[in-house]
Amino acid sequence: MISRRAFLKSGGLAMLSIGVGGVPAFAIRAAHAGKHTGLYKKNKILVCIFQRGAMDGLMAVPPFTDNYFKTARPNLFMNADSKGSLMDLDGRFGLHPGFKSFASLFQSKQLAIVHGMGSPNTTRSHFDAQDYMESGTPFNKGTTSGWLNRAVGLMGHEGSPFRAVSLTTSLPRSLYGDNPSIAISNLADFGLQLRGAKTANLTAQTFEELYDQTSDELLKEAGKESFEAIKLLKQSDIKNYKPDGNANYPNSPLGRALKQIAQLIKMDVGMEVAFAESGGWDTHFNQGTDKGIFARNAEDLSNSIVAFWNDLGAWQDNVTVMTMTEFGRTVKQNGTGGTDHGRASCLFVLGNDVKGGQVHGQVKTLAIENLADGRDLEVTTDFRSIFSEVADRHLQLNDDKILFPDWQGNPIGIMKS
Amino acid sequence: MKIKFFNITLTTVALTLLSSFSFHAATNSKFPYREAGLTERQAAAHLISRFTFGATPGQVDEVVSMGLEKWFARELKGEMEENEVNEHLKNYDALTLTNAQVVMQFPRGPLVQKMAIADGALNKDSLSKLDKPEIKARLKEYKKQKGLRDEKELFTQLIGQKIMRAVYGKNQLHEVLTDFWFNHFNVSITKGQCAQFIPAYERDVIRPNVTSNFFDLLIATAQSPAMLLYLDNASSMGEPENIEARANRQPRVRVTRRGIIQRMPVPNRPPQQKKRNAQGLNENYAREIMELHTLGVDGGYTQQDVTEAARVLTGWTVYPLKDGNFENLRKKLDEVGENRLTSQGFVHKGDFLFVPNRHDAKEKNVLGKKFSAGGGYQDGVELLKMLATHPSTAKFISTKLAVRFVSDNPPASLVEKMADTFLKHHGDIKKVLMTMVSAPEFWSAEALRSKTKSPFEYAVSAARVLNADIANPAPFNQWITRMGQQLYSYAAPTGFPDRGQYWINTGSLLNRMNFGLAITSGRINGVKIDLANLNNHHEPESAEAALPVYAKLILPERDLEPTLKRLMPIVATPDVYGKVDKAAIHNTNVVDTLYAHHKLTNRKKQVEKNQQNTHSQFGDNTMLAQVVGIIIGSPEFQRR
Repeated sequence: MISRRAFLKSGGLAMLSIGVGGVPAFAIRAAHAGKHTGLYKKNKILVCIFQRGAMDGLMAVPPFTDNYFKTARPNLFMNADSKGSLMDLDGRFGLHPGFKSFASLFQSKQLAIVHGMGSPNTTRSHFDAQDYMESGTPFNKGTTSGWLNRAVGLMGHEGSPFRAVSLTTSLPRSLYGDNPSIAISNLADFGLQLRGAKTANLTAQTFEELYDQTSDELLKEAGKESFEAIKLLKQSDIKNYKPDGNANYPNSPLGRALKQIAQLIKMDVGMEVAFAESGGWDTHFNQGTDKGIFARNAEDLSNSIVAFWNDLGAWQDNVTVMTMTEFGRTVKQNGTGGTDHGRASCLFVLGNDVKGGQVHGQVKTLAIENLADGRDLEVTTDFRSIFSEVADRHLQLNDDKILFPDWQGNPIGIMKS
Repeated sequence: MKIKFFNITLTTVALTLLSSFSFHAATNSKFPYREAGLTERQAAAHLISRFTFGATPGQVDEVVSMGLEKWFARELKGEMEENEVNEHLKNYDALTLTNAQVVMQFPRGPLVQKMAIADGALNKDSLSKLDKPEIKARLKEYKKQKGLRDEKELFTQLIGQKIMRAVYGKNQLHEVLTDFWFNHFNVSITKGQCAQFIPAYERDVIRPNVTSNFFDLLIATAQSPAMLLYLDNASSMGEPENIEARANRQPRVRVTRRGIIQRMPVPNRPPQQKKRNAQGLNENYAREIMELHTLGVDGGYTQQDVTEAARVLTGWTVYPLKDGNFENLRKKLDEVGENRLTSQGFVHKGDFLFVPNRHDAKEKNVLGKKFSAGGGYQDGVELLKMLATHPSTAKFISTKLAVRFVSDNPPASLVEKMADTFLKHHGDIKKVLMTMVSAPEFWSAEALRSKTKSPFEYAVSAARVLNADIANPAPFNQWITRMGQQLYSYAAPTGFPDRGQYWINTGSLLNRMNFGLAITSGRINGVKIDLANLNNHHEPESAEAALPVYAKLILPERDLEPTLKRLMPIVATPDVYGKVDKAAIHNTNVVDTLYAHHKLTNRKKQVEKNQQNTHSQFGDNTMLAQVVGIIIGSPEFQRR
């Protein structure tokens, strides 16, 4: 922490005028020089999207040739033949039509799927399962930090206040911890809203000092981070943002979040970990088939990610996107046209160093003797073997003792080596 | 003369003793704050910070002169007239509606279309030909004709009343507890099916029970449409063969069969056929009642207990409301009549209905307790009683209360005392709170100012301490949302986490500072502040003199030194303002740059007025607003 702050000071940031909402002098100089020089060198960036509520992995990527599956879900089953609406991925698994915008990324081998993914802890509580997945310690409630926060701590080089950013109103469990992380719900609102240059500077200074002097550690740290972050953001770029690559972001919380993550990436503010959320996956009731709640969620997720990817353009090589969800849902449909809390689900990983175009992991036939507790898709891939491989290959973080303490496992080969 | 004086003194002493004796008997004992080294005023400020949404100007004096114990007893009772709140809410016409009236007046979107088709205002066949805006326009017209209102309006009133009650309510502890218990038994307007029932949920289920017995709260929530729909128990039903076991034992009323049983799948029918109205066991509520409402996640239950509890609670559902969806069903139930329903094992209480032919009647076993076959409705009540009085529940609820009222990490010794009281008095909430406030841990140095206000608490406490006049709470609410708390919209059944770490991060913190500046400078629409009036129109001699006055008003009984030290440079350089004022007259360009938000003419007038009044170093209150805004946005005011 001290060294990071020391860097900021030695990097000259502390000497810039506070210039609330203004442009740091460094950036102005760079602009005048007519070349694009970010404040930070280009980093690899991991973008994580948490699908809250537990996505039904068996509806997202259904083993459509499995007769047990067909029997278990008389009303939810879809087929991949000419009458069905699924996209056939490999003769065994299909892709739900809501994810159709993923198809080309799967074909171009940039998008991979891991099926049978989940936690070794059998809890079926959203709260606990999310907590475990985000802390990265499925058997330890007492872990105070999140795995992404620990990843930030392992980077081994100095970073910016925007090193870890969550596009949410509050910090997610994944980013809890001692390494600086920030939550921003809207980039355009980020900053102190002051009127009048002289009073503004004085007021900003006073706030900064008050927070710097407070005995409350939580407020003190958050205060420091806030003022450093203000100094980095180029407000002018934010308001006039035009996505590249004809990217068409859905006007949804996830679409807006990913659009802003793209902005931060292109501003080179030193972001290395980004986090966003997708909601509504807790489909106990009438989840639908090619239309309905699940389909709408799937469209929002895939269209947002695809827009983000197209928008990134040349930055794609630096970015990996990974989705995650706390558990899967029952193999059998329930009595209310939905599915209840289950065990394994699937996740998506997108990037140019991903071994895409495949469904990784093992999914046995869904005969009752193959199911966890006789009802749920068995977890065959511990989520940590995916997370750790992505962190290792994409961010060069391989200290699993810190990232995922109490875990020993192997990569599953989802990333190119 | 001397003797007489002595007599009077004696009598006074005796009376004082007597009154203090009876007083002690009523409230158990004096709060142990002196042992913790607090003065009475400091203790009063702490008490206010915990059991209200923030001190109003002069409230510390009021509490001290009333006596801390007496004040708390009055807050526990919560029986003061709410004239001010009622005045503020007199135009909130949706707040008194029953659930049945709400569904009639604020029908949900899909229902409106159905009604419009039924009434011939929309032709079903032409629906596919019309484009979306056209349908929308026709529905709007239809709603207007029928006097139907937009659901959004209902939620605006719901949110508005929460803000108004928190800011202006006399019975503050009851408001705080309403917030606490609502969050504990969270339901969310983000879930459409339950959203309409949330106003009545808060009003009839939570509010009347906030200081009663925990079981009362648990059963009231369990039987409320909002909770039944939010956690899906309304649609949960037993496996057909388990229902038949009971239903076969007694003859059914024919019309009931049509009305109710018609909706359940006929046993042994192939599953493909039960597509539309398919129903079955849903564990969601059973899981959350254990994990979140009673035992807590480490409370010692298993997946098997969850499934069994879900079976016990099958048949607990919502009495059909006349909202178009269930109109026929409702008619049939009305025709059958209450007596016959009761004789058939139905239980109808308000909007709650127990339907025996949706209930799993076979034997169950939850947490080692056997529920024999055929127990029906009463089994559910017994289950809730068992959960409400379970030692794990005592600990879980006591911890949660201590986290809300004492600190984010309350000492185990305090939780233990509270849990003991909880068990001994069968979940008497008043007694648990009394145990908490009578414990030394409540007054310890670790507890003082250790809580970080949630965005709602922060905004409301600012409005209270500034005597804000809120005419329209909607823009005020937008700030609360921006600071990270969307009221009634926390989607997960966990409710908002009650810890500072959740609320405080970079983005939200900047918005807190912005809120402080916005509210004091009148930049929040619908909210008026009169800073001069706050100080009884005593204009301070100087800016330097004003600072401590306002700081003391806003942060009673706090150490003001650090805040004052940082703020002094601002007020001690009136030059800045003086120069700006002069420049304003000579150079309009400068003014444009510096005060872009001010109407120039206003500014000029103000400056001229200020110059006439040479005693006023306070300028046009811009500086005062700024300074008070900084105090509101300061770290000290984020804590309680």
